[in-house]
Amino acid sequence: MLDMTSGNSRGSFRAEVPTYAAAVEAWLASRPAAFVAAARPVASYAERVAVTSDLMRVLFDEGWARYGWPEAVGGLGGDILHRAAMWEALARHGLPAMALFEHLEILAPTLVAMGDQDFVAGVLPRFLSGEERWSQGFSEPDAGSDLASARTRAVAVDGGYAITGRKIWTSWARYATWCLVLARTGTTQSRHRGLTAFAVDLRSPGVEVRAIEQANGTDELAEVTFDEVLVGPDRIVGERSGGWRVAMHILAHERGTFGWFRHGFLYRQLFDNLAQGSPSPAGDTLLGNALLDLAAVRASSHAGLRAHAAGAALGPQAAFVKLMLAAGEQAVNDWVLATDPDLAVGMQDDYVAVRRQDYLFSRIVTVYGGSQQMQLDTIAKQILRLP
Amino acid sequence: MTSVTEQADREFVDAACLALRAPTDGGDPLDALGWWDLLSELSDRDARAAALALFRAQGRELFGSAALGGLMAQPFLVATGLPPGSLVATVSRWSPRRGERLVVVGDVAGAALLIDRPGHGAAVVASDQVELHPVAVAGRLAMYEVELGPCIWTATVAERTAEPARARGRFLGRLAMALEILGAAEGALALAVAHAATREQFGQPIGAFQAVRHLLAWARTDCVALEAVTTVAVRLDEATPPRHDEIVKALAGRNGRRVCERALQVLGAIGFTTEHDHHHFHSRVLALDALLGTSAELTHALGAWFRETGTDPAAPAAVLLSE
Repeated sequence: MLDMTSGNSRGSFRAEVPTYAAAVEAWLASRPAAFVAAARPVASYAERVAVTSDLMRVLFDEGWARYGWPEAVGGLGGDILHRAAMWEALARHGLPAMALFEHLEILAPTLVAMGDQDFVAGVLPRFLSGEERWSQGFSEPDAGSDLASARTRAVAVDGGYAITGRKIWTSWARYATWCLVLARTGTTQSRHRGLTAFAVDLRSPGVEVRAIEQANGTDELAEVTFDEVLVGPDRIVGERSGGWRVAMHILAHERGTFGWFRHGFLYRQLFDNLAQGSPSPAGDTLLGNALLDLAAVRASSHAGLRAHAAGAALGPQAAFVKLMLAAGEQAVNDWVLATDPDLAVGMQDDYVAVRRQDYLFSRIVTVYGGSQQMQLDTIAKQILRLP
Repeated sequence: MTSVTEQADREFVDAACLALRAPTDGGDPLDALGWWDLLSELSDRDARAAALALFRAQGRELFGSAALGGLMAQPFLVATGLPPGSLVATVSRWSPRRGERLVVVGDVAGAALLIDRPGHGAAVVASDQVELHPVAVAGRLAMYEVELGPCIWTATVAERTAEPARARGRFLGRLAMALEILGAAEGALALAVAHAATREQFGQPIGAFQAVRHLLAWARTDCVALEAVTTVAVRLDEATPPRHDEIVKALAGRNGRRVCERALQVLGAIGFTTEHDHHHFHSRVLALDALLGTSAELTHALGAWFRETGTDPAAPAAVLLSE
């Protein structure tokens, strides 16, 4: 085991991403037990959460998962390129997915940039170490693509705010300790100007989480009800009435830099499909198209990572990466389905079940994180400047 | 999402567009750009980016030159002892009707032609020893089929020297063609976006209709994908993984055609006339897609290659994330 606390290795890992990446690779090559367990296909989502959380704890204890996050909030310094390198290495070595730690790359950058620093210093290490998970409470039954019409309310009371309302399609809520809730502190007519983002402890009285069983057999989504749930003023992320800015920051990550983190697992799917039997040559054109699409995601999300590392805002261009990522995920799974009919009609052992889950999920990637139609609207309006 | 490198790339393209558009008093805009001098500096990242930016500008401005053949011949200059600009590579393609055809792009008067025969070496042939037959396709692309007498071809570059030069020439040629396809697709898209903002139906600009907006947004996404992939390939150059030039070229042909088709749909019938420039951009994309491997051929072959070998096709993260 490397001594992560010694000053020398820490300094060079922080300063040089390739040195850090090589050390992560070397560690993975030794096949740590927690990694091997998390790399095995597991159909049960709850079990997948458990083994991935165990892996996160080991990555945290070894120090790897702490690079890329500021020292003031429990990290070891460095930037997003460190995280990009770590997840790339994990995917290359056989990890099938980030599971619910996808939210690390969607929510944590915004928590660090906009949250109360004492609060973030308390929760981020527990997030990084897999001890606590986060979910994202944006969508509501009547507010999907039109997020600015959200109706969940936060009313000022003694000691903070009381939150009441209903969130739906909340990924990972049933496995999470925290939920970042977008709630209305202004009037309904205030639209996006009257929203505030709160970090809500899901263990609080008045919170009810109902899992939603998805068509692909997983239960990562949930409906969350808040009934006068009390939150302290230090749980506001960003400014009061600044929730829209927080949401846009999060969505820019979900659409822009996240492409890098997710596409590594799409290459993983290609290799896994090759390793299982011998895919028919009839799928070669589909496979070739998947290679083109993944090259596009890799190149464009890499440009987003570099811009982010250089301190630039992600902006509406993130919509391009989101569209390309969805196209890439569908292209990969088009090939998988074309060459593996067991997904549709075969015996569902863990391996086949996971691939079936992945295939079916790829049919809905054009919905989450802002539907494909919303991304196209963003490009038409903000980039092409159409009337 | 802009980075310093991308900013520099944009400046190269803008400068090249200006030079191609400016009146040259009969002079060659490539000379004015100092383009031929860049060919001996392709190992330098900025020089390489500047040299290749010319092709994107050529696509946008519908400009024709012999730059493609000059670039593809560059790896043969040492072996042939010729200076940049005096040797232009021919491109071999297969016609289902007429068998192997040799093609040159641009005005090659006065230059020697490089005729490469994989497995047998390469030959330098004076342009007055061949017949050039113009290929009549739109696209403002001067293109010729090269007819060569049966006895003239004798290898002047041995196969063991020609082989690596050929691979390098194809790599550069595919990147150049991908960038020219990008430029032409951007030209077609710009016409369609302008049309959508001004053409009115039902009392409003057609660009206000979501069906039209989404066609154009998809087209822009296809351009951005191609821009990102070419930018990385130009930056990484020889650090790209095996067959990456084929991925770039296949993506260019596929996305370039899709962009032109969507632009045409937005333009409507006026876009399908010879008086409108769309057909020039579209035809240029089709012509370039047909050289050095069509997107259909390359896409299928890349799939077969990955299925058979499992070779990692991704640009290496260690290089991508290192700067």
